[in-house]
Amino acid sequence: MKTIKLLLLAVLFIGFASCDDDDDIQLIEVSSETVVNLHATYSGGINQQTGMSTPISGEFTKYNFATGMTTTSTTEWDIAFRGLDIIINGGTSSGLTDEPARTGVGAAYIASMPFANVTDVDTSLFVEDSATGFAIDSWYDYDPIARLISATAGKTLVIKTNDGKYAKVRIISYYKDAPATPDAFMDESRYYTFDFVYQPNDGVLTF
Amino acid sequence: MITKQFLSFLFSFFFYITFSYSQEVQVAVKDSTNVEQLNEVIVSATRTIRQLSSLPLPAQIVAKKEIESTNTLRLNDILNEQTGLTTVSDFGGGEGIQIQGLDSQYTLILVDGVPLVGRSAGTLDLSRITVGNIKQIEIVKGPSSSLYGSEALGGVVNIITDTPKNGFKGNLNYRIGTFNTHDIGASLSHKKDKLAINAFINRYSSDGYDLIKTDDFNTVEPFSNYTISTKVNYQFNKGTNLLVSGRYYTQNQNSVPSSNLNGETDTDEWNAHAKLRHRYNEKWSSYFEFYATRYKAKETLESQNNPLFSDSFYNQFLIRPEIRATYKPNKKSSFIGGIGYNHETLDRTDFNVKPEFNSPYVYAQYDGNPTEKINLIVGARFDAHSEYKSQFSPKVALRYEVNDKIALKSSVGYGFKAPDFRQLYFEFSNPGQSYIVLGYNVLFEDGELKPENSIGINIGADYKASSTLTFNINIFRNNINDLIEDYLIENQDLPIQFQNNSINTFSYRNVNNVYTQGFEINGKLKVNNQLKITGGYQYLIARDKDAETKFENGEIFARIGNSADFQLKKSDYFGLANRSKHIANMKVFYTIPKWNLDTNIRGTYRSKYGLSDTNNSQGYLDKYDNLIDGYTIIDFAINKKLHTNYTLGFGIDNLLDFTDTQNINNIAGRLLYGKLNIKF
Repeated sequence: MKTIKLLLLAVLFIGFASCDDDDDIQLIEVSSETVVNLHATYSGGINQQTGMSTPISGEFTKYNFATGMTTTSTTEWDIAFRGLDIIINGGTSSGLTDEPARTGVGAAYIASMPFANVTDVDTSLFVEDSATGFAIDSWYDYDPIARLISATAGKTLVIKTNDGKYAKVRIISYYKDAPATPDAFMDESRYYTFDFVYQPNDGVLTF
Repeated sequence: MITKQFLSFLFSFFFYITFSYSQEVQVAVKDSTNVEQLNEVIVSATRTIRQLSSLPLPAQIVAKKEIESTNTLRLNDILNEQTGLTTVSDFGGGEGIQIQGLDSQYTLILVDGVPLVGRSAGTLDLSRITVGNIKQIEIVKGPSSSLYGSEALGGVVNIITDTPKNGFKGNLNYRIGTFNTHDIGASLSHKKDKLAINAFINRYSSDGYDLIKTDDFNTVEPFSNYTISTKVNYQFNKGTNLLVSGRYYTQNQNSVPSSNLNGETDTDEWNAHAKLRHRYNEKWSSYFEFYATRYKAKETLESQNNPLFSDSFYNQFLIRPEIRATYKPNKKSSFIGGIGYNHETLDRTDFNVKPEFNSPYVYAQYDGNPTEKINLIVGARFDAHSEYKSQFSPKVALRYEVNDKIALKSSVGYGFKAPDFRQLYFEFSNPGQSYIVLGYNVLFEDGELKPENSIGINIGADYKASSTLTFNINIFRNNINDLIEDYLIENQDLPIQFQNNSINTFSYRNVNNVYTQGFEINGKLKVNNQLKITGGYQYLIARDKDAETKFENGEIFARIGNSADFQLKKSDYFGLANRSKHIANMKVFYTIPKWNLDTNIRGTYRSKYGLSDTNNSQGYLDKYDNLIDGYTIIDFAINKKLHTNYTLGFGIDNLLDFTDTQNINNIAGRLLYGKLNIKF
């Protein structure tokens, strides 16, 4: 009886100890990064001389949160930018010219909270890109008089990456070098500056 | 809240007053008669001749005397000095007037009772109008669509031009000032027996000015313009007369929108107005009126390698016949009724169609005194329209004379502004930003875009403290609904043939509900025949109701620079753009008869305001935005009569040399001028 108890204790101990061992496998730390002047240009649009419009074309600028770099890979990308359009690597193409095919399990939603306050991912809110629209659609406000695009304060993009991890993004500016008071007539547009936090650990829903 | 600027405004003002008039103020002799004030009559409020002081509506008059003694040149300058009115410049460069916090596009501008057209970007540029031939300017505040139809939400500004007086008279006027600004005017008038005729010509030119020297273009480019007008009145017999008048305005201005583009802008406008009046008897009179006007603007631009870079034009035409009748059954009451037809066309760049508006209308009004102490006005107008829903605009106004000193007045009215041609038919594409703007009717079914409309309530009191001191106060509230704004349409909401994923499409919709409320106080002190002091103040709150809700619910965030976003509180909401909470003016007019000298000093103050959202808070203004500091403008003028026919004048506008080069483009700094006037 005593030995059995001892054995049980030993088993429990080993069990707990091994549990401790599991905890000792350190999670990769998350850190905040800033991407400056991600160029998201295109060609086409409206011809200044004729006023005729042609479909916008050109490669989307793709970004991979895990590497923290832009990429030309057709599969290993999480989010991509062209002009004001932001797409994610999940769902289906909306049919734009030169729009990349979705190969991953990506999804996204916009949280109406400041960046720092988004500490948890709410997986029930995720939507994918589709033929009727993009998961990330209303990230900016447009001032028709100043002709200015400004990223709406208090909105945080929560992204599911192409391989099912999570990231949160705060867009800072649409203008080159993110001037504090941009001028739509002077500053070059289609340059994204954004902060992001990437959660590299599988299945972890916090930042 | 009295801000620092306001204190400095008061201080500097009283400094000038004491400095200039310290001796004279002491000899304040009571003046028993106040003829000038009693004689002031106004036609705009009721479309009949009414004594201003007995009117149940908030209204004011700027008399020729004030225009002359302040040496004002253009309409915007003189209106900006009136209580509750603020000149605001739109992004197209036009200067309009804000009344009770309503935007300039909601104020109807009339000349002798008929409207001016030509609002290419919404604002009717008041600097188009010379004040050289103006008898008086009438301002009626609050919705007045019951008499005037569209555009009269905030109020009506009616410019009454000179009428010929007996005999042969002439007037020559020349003013020269800073920036090589010249204003030359001449008028001739003749009246004998049945025929009265006058003619007026004005030339106004300036080299313009440049507030930001580092860029390649001027703030205001050089321009010159001419105004020619004439009026002929023929009195067939005691009861019948025919009045015919015409006006022509033309302006040429350089246009340099960017460093590699230049060209010029030409504006041409004419108005023709005929009015046949017949009095049948003591009770009945009728008017047959015909009015036509055309406003044309044209801009041509060339770049270094393209002599025909762009060529844009705007050509609006309005024709309006109207018949009206007045009926006065007795001394206590009068009726007026009218029926008319508006036909309007517009041809402009960025329109694929040449739209036409047709709008018959009918109106009626009762103005009576059921008892000696009560004056009641009840009126309504019905506007049918070819392009939008018919509008019914009622108005009621009541004045109660408590005693000799105090009278109470109140009015409630409806005002509307029809969707303009641009909001219905625009087909504009912007090359740089790759978006297009399409008018509502281009995309959707006609008639579904509603007119912007408002209900305005005014409650006030007149107080006559003595024969020399009067006050009035007016509390107002305007609820404005269905404001039209442009918005980005989701692709799937567009009709199939317009769906295009590559371009952002903007159109117009009824969305915002806003309100303006506040109060206005005016005081007038006539110390004696030599010294008159007037002052006015307006307190204003102008807010968007949706914004209030969003701020309250904590849905609005802001960021300063690239710092962390933070939530805004309800109290952080700053209200609508370009509205100042406090505006004030003070004017001192002083005459020294023995020297034939009259002089005046006028100050206007407006408190802090915002122009646009600068901290990413969904387009709404909050107290953390880059707001524009309040400011004070002080003007000074002195005129001396030599003999009876010659007047020499000198003045300084913007004495304190205020400028805000970054934010305010219509204030050029200190302006000096000299003036010569010859009357014969």
